[in-house]
Amino acid sequence: MDIGLLRPGEEQACLEIHNRLRRDRRSLAQWRWEFIENTYGKAPTPFVCARDGGRIIGTQAFIPIQMIDKVGVYWTAKSEATLIDFKYWGQHILEKMYEPLFHYAEEQDFTVIWGFTPAAKAYTQLPFEFPGKTEQLFLPFSSRMITSLVNKATGGSNSFLRAAAVRAGGSLVAALSSTRTALSSKKLPEGLEIRTMESADEQAGSVCERFVDQWGGATIYRDSRYLQWRLFENPYVRSVVKGIYEEDKLLGWVAFTIGDDGIGYLVDLLVACDTSRYTAGKLVGRLLLEAVLGARNMGATGIRSWRVNQHPFERLVASEAKKIGFYHVKRGYPVVLHNCPAGEKRPSTVSFDNWYVTRIYTEGALS
Amino acid sequence: MISRAAVGYVRSQLAGHVRLFFHEPAADLIKGESIRFLSYVDAVSTKERCIVIPTDIPIPFEPDLPWTSEFNGTSVTLWNRIRKPDAEGWRGVPAEASPVWWVHDSGTVLPSWNLFGNILDLLTFGEEKRSSERDQHGRFDWKSSPRTKHGLLEVPTVNEAAALLVAALTSMSRSEPPALVLGDNILKPPVVVLSHDCDSLKGNDFTSQLIRLYRVIQPVTKGRWPKLSNLWWIARNATSPRRYYFDDATGLLDIERCFGATSTFYLLNGSGGRLGARSPIAEARRFADRVPSSWEVGMHYNYDTYLDRDKFAAQLGQLKQAIVQPIVSGRAHYLRFDPFRSFSFLREFGIYVDESSGWSDKVAYRNGLAGCFQAYDPESDVPLDIWEVPLAVMDDGLVGEFGADSITAIERHLQHLKCVGGAFTILFHPGNFANPEHPRTIGIYHEILKASRRVEADFCTARSLVDLVRK
Repeated sequence: MDIGLLRPGEEQACLEIHNRLRRDRRSLAQWRWEFIENTYGKAPTPFVCARDGGRIIGTQAFIPIQMIDKVGVYWTAKSEATLIDFKYWGQHILEKMYEPLFHYAEEQDFTVIWGFTPAAKAYTQLPFEFPGKTEQLFLPFSSRMITSLVNKATGGSNSFLRAAAVRAGGSLVAALSSTRTALSSKKLPEGLEIRTMESADEQAGSVCERFVDQWGGATIYRDSRYLQWRLFENPYVRSVVKGIYEEDKLLGWVAFTIGDDGIGYLVDLLVACDTSRYTAGKLVGRLLLEAVLGARNMGATGIRSWRVNQHPFERLVASEAKKIGFYHVKRGYPVVLHNCPAGEKRPSTVSFDNWYVTRIYTEGALS
Repeated sequence: MISRAAVGYVRSQLAGHVRLFFHEPAADLIKGESIRFLSYVDAVSTKERCIVIPTDIPIPFEPDLPWTSEFNGTSVTLWNRIRKPDAEGWRGVPAEASPVWWVHDSGTVLPSWNLFGNILDLLTFGEEKRSSERDQHGRFDWKSSPRTKHGLLEVPTVNEAAALLVAALTSMSRSEPPALVLGDNILKPPVVVLSHDCDSLKGNDFTSQLIRLYRVIQPVTKGRWPKLSNLWWIARNATSPRRYYFDDATGLLDIERCFGATSTFYLLNGSGGRLGARSPIAEARRFADRVPSSWEVGMHYNYDTYLDRDKFAAQLGQLKQAIVQPIVSGRAHYLRFDPFRSFSFLREFGIYVDESSGWSDKVAYRNGLAGCFQAYDPESDVPLDIWEVPLAVMDDGLVGEFGADSITAIERHLQHLKCVGGAFTILFHPGNFANPEHPRTIGIYHEILKASRRVEADFCTARSLVDLVRK
């Protein structure tokens, strides 16, 4: 067994193991966008392969992501591409693949390694904490979304009666949601303007700085370069990004898209309104409504979003979302977190409730 | 007798096509001296390493029995066979029974089918010229095409011919026999050209509501239950006129953004009624204001403007006053289009991109081409400065023909174009995109975009495609 960083010429083999084990059809361009052509741009790429007889049988990677808190901008690593061929399970390969990555994180002064995984059990053997889990906010436009979500949860094995009940229940919750959406004011408050961004706004980084000043804690540093890569040049599916402006000053944005499953996804939402005459709740509600109507017009069966922790902005989003017809479901994946030595200097990493993270494309793709 | 102008026309269409869908070396090869357009007698007597294309073989009314050959991971379909020359030294490649090329020992390569005649005939609407059959709207029906009964309407024969030529020229440039495979980095990804005819941007117009009311009552006259769901659509669009129409159009813009696509919105204005515009010009203006600069806005020529200068000028004038985008492209409402008079007519009004050549109820290549071509005036024997981007797929036609297999059909075409190069043109109406009143087409557009992504297709508008080839 040979474990080490990605070597030249191994990209195709890494893609193939992903497509084989995940039964996916990811393209090489998509793979490269995620791991090679991201905003980090430093060599070597933090992508580890486990090889047996020259054949790749496991992968584990980092996507370096900048975060920001009141102290400034810092690098973190998001754990991705956790794959081990079934035949090699139980051989502690994940632990062995993480070893060079932990070294890498230390060398590069990464503050924290984080991620979301359905395979939390595998991480119990590693020095990771499990500070929370993702939960869902969703708003169905039709019963098809509920049917789709239930089918995902049950693997599609529903009896006729159960399917009929799900459909009837789905219709009812969709009708209730659409009533609440319809009753929400569509009028844009005076002095505000909503624009669809055709490319990332240069003011994005400054919004993030104001965001952590206003709300505290830490969040992903979405400067225009990051947004351009993650949202506007995403080779899976891009986002519609709507910015809210007051006298040409960007106060925040909402990004939404449609997944391959036909469900709309709230990809990102951020508001920093310390200098605005409007409350954050008003702006968040308005942006949520834009996402809901936008996803509905794109033919989505509903829209869903994450609810991750008790960050004050996260709580505000959840509260505004409920007003326009979202429901909250406590189902999701555990968060895994590892504090690196460099992270000890940062107060924002003490509690996970200090984090504000959105879906912002979990693995690049959505569904 | 084929004129030199006609030969030059076919040659330049092939060169333009190759420039669009193949990388640079291929475009240079097709323009070079290695292809010669000659009479049949001169062609078979040539004894040099080059491709000789006979230009004087007539086209029969019915396509001569077609055959297929494997090529670059797909199958190409040829018809109107050129028999193997009688002289010694000619052999069929890849096989005598189903040849693509007749190759002489000296290196001369002769197509085994009437490459020149087929292309010229299809690009100059030869089928329409030979048939007087037209439907109630004055259109040439696909059922009247002689290609129909041989299953040739779904064959992009111009694309296949161009790809075969490029493959042969590439291998011949290395002093090898004509290959039936395109090497790496020769072919560009397939292109998807999207467009939307905005017949109606509000669902509450008198005609639409009356039609819904008729649909409620009509079954009763035949002793069936009334279709009460139409009452719901009446009420819904009475209270929310833009829902599923204007909102569909903005949804189309957004979903295209998500897939990195752009498209053209053809706006219908002018006179109203069942065959005319269903929403006021103010709605067209309101929507055009929302269309970003990477998308195109064009004119959906109203039904009554067909070859009528005054009415066409009035519609165009009204549209130009309402919107800021320049109007240089268009498509005829009901695809009402005369291939012999409409091109020069449209050019008079500054239109240089047209997307009217296609069928609403059949997924097909009306001109045997997935791409674009320059219109040709057979009267004066000169090409016109107006380009046709033939329509291959229309929403209702797609689901009408293929039903649940619609996406499989789309994917089959895209996969084929991935192997031979070309642009696949798709029309989707706002109102059919996410409208529960038309459930058959719900979700289809999203699936088309996903299928396009799977084949790694590029997207462009008809105008940007034409602008590239006009350069």
